[in-house]
Amino acid sequence: MNRNKQTETLGGIITLIILVLLIFLSNVQTSKLSFFEGVASSVFSPIQNLFISLKNKATGNSKYFSDMELLIAENEELKEKNRSLEEQVRELEIVKADNETMQEYMNLTQKYAEYETIPAYVINKDVSNLSSTLIINAGTEDGVAENMTVIADQGLVGHIISVSKHTSKVQVIIDPASTVSCLISTTEQSIICKGTLDNDQTLRASFIPTGAELIQGDTVSTSGIGGIYRKGIRIGTIKEIVTTSNVIDRYAIVEPAVDFSTVNNVLIIAE
Amino acid sequence: MKKFGISVLFFITFIIIYLLQANIFPSLKIAGVMPNLFVILILWIGLFASTFEAVIFGIIMGLILDLIYGRVIGITAIMLCVIGYLGAYFDKNFSKESKFKIVLMVIGATIIYEVGYYALNGLILGYDFEWLRFMKILIYEVIYNVLITILLYPIIQNLGYKVDRAFKRNNILTRYF
Repeated sequence: MNRNKQTETLGGIITLIILVLLIFLSNVQTSKLSFFEGVASSVFSPIQNLFISLKNKATGNSKYFSDMELLIAENEELKEKNRSLEEQVRELEIVKADNETMQEYMNLTQKYAEYETIPAYVINKDVSNLSSTLIINAGTEDGVAENMTVIADQGLVGHIISVSKHTSKVQVIIDPASTVSCLISTTEQSIICKGTLDNDQTLRASFIPTGAELIQGDTVSTSGIGGIYRKGIRIGTIKEIVTTSNVIDRYAIVEPAVDFSTVNNVLIIAE
Repeated sequence: MKKFGISVLFFITFIIIYLLQANIFPSLKIAGVMPNLFVILILWIGLFASTFEAVIFGIIMGLILDLIYGRVIGITAIMLCVIGYLGAYFDKNFSKESKFKIVLMVIGATIIYEVGYYALNGLILGYDFEWLRFMKILIYEVIYNVLITILLYPIIQNLGYKVDRAFKRNNILTRYF
């Protein structure tokens, strides 16, 4: 209790002394205190500067926010524009793809100008590993009939084995059940090309005449014998010649000109 | 009614598998070979549903596939019907509890289906058999089918027992005692 009283008295005395000193100081001219002013300003001015800059930023913010609204509106506008442009790009891509398809058809029809042709798309491929059948989107309504020849830009695809109203089934030349009578372009020798189970989608050319000379890279085309395929449609090139001990048994591997895993646009040769 | 619902589900599964086989698997080939999920489906029906369901579904689905792709109508139908019978035979003679046995059944069914399909097609269409190339395709197909079976095993087992309960609830006693 006593100690508290002492502290209170001491505090009162100190406050009184400070007040008396302040009275004295207030009467002194400020110019005489410039040193102390300099010290104070050098201590506080950086802090003040900081506060000023913060204040400036805060006042600038109002402008920032007003700009923000404008930017949001502009952003929306640009997004809308972007959307419409993307739509246009998509449309153009579709048009481009259509154009390419049409061009492919045109090339095809020009290439096989002497034939009357029906264009079609491949819409389905066989799900079995042991056979190769294609389904195309042209049927009896388009004038397709059984045994018609199907060709692509690069060469022979196969022939129609059955037709429905709007679709047809095509037996591809690489199907194991397919046999095509062919001619070797250089020697005009007749051979038989059969489909195989090979994953590389190759044909096996057999019944090669004993006197025939085969050259790697020779073109093979249809001979017209057999009644299904017309003469002169390109099939592919001789990739490899396999000679056996008996010359009668020798055979060649023919690489088809058409890539059957990517074939999409075909033409059906109408009778 | 429950059986009818399950049959509808079988058919929907067939359509899903058909779409997968026609659109997805051609771009997921292993060494140029696709799996054959139809065999797994019919075997599964034979194992967990009834002989009748498996045979009927085998014939219907086989005929649909033959009509879409086949050169000779009926070969796929016959072979899937055989797989249906095989599934029912496995069900009566073997346990379906272990993954290993299911995998063995899938291997057996795939081999029987593909050999039958190739032999019948070859005999009817009269083409030269290339057994070595056929074996290569068959091995890859079996491996692919086994991988898919292992992957789908939880579904095969869980759904299978639900189907099993719906179809064989009445004759459990006669089967086990």
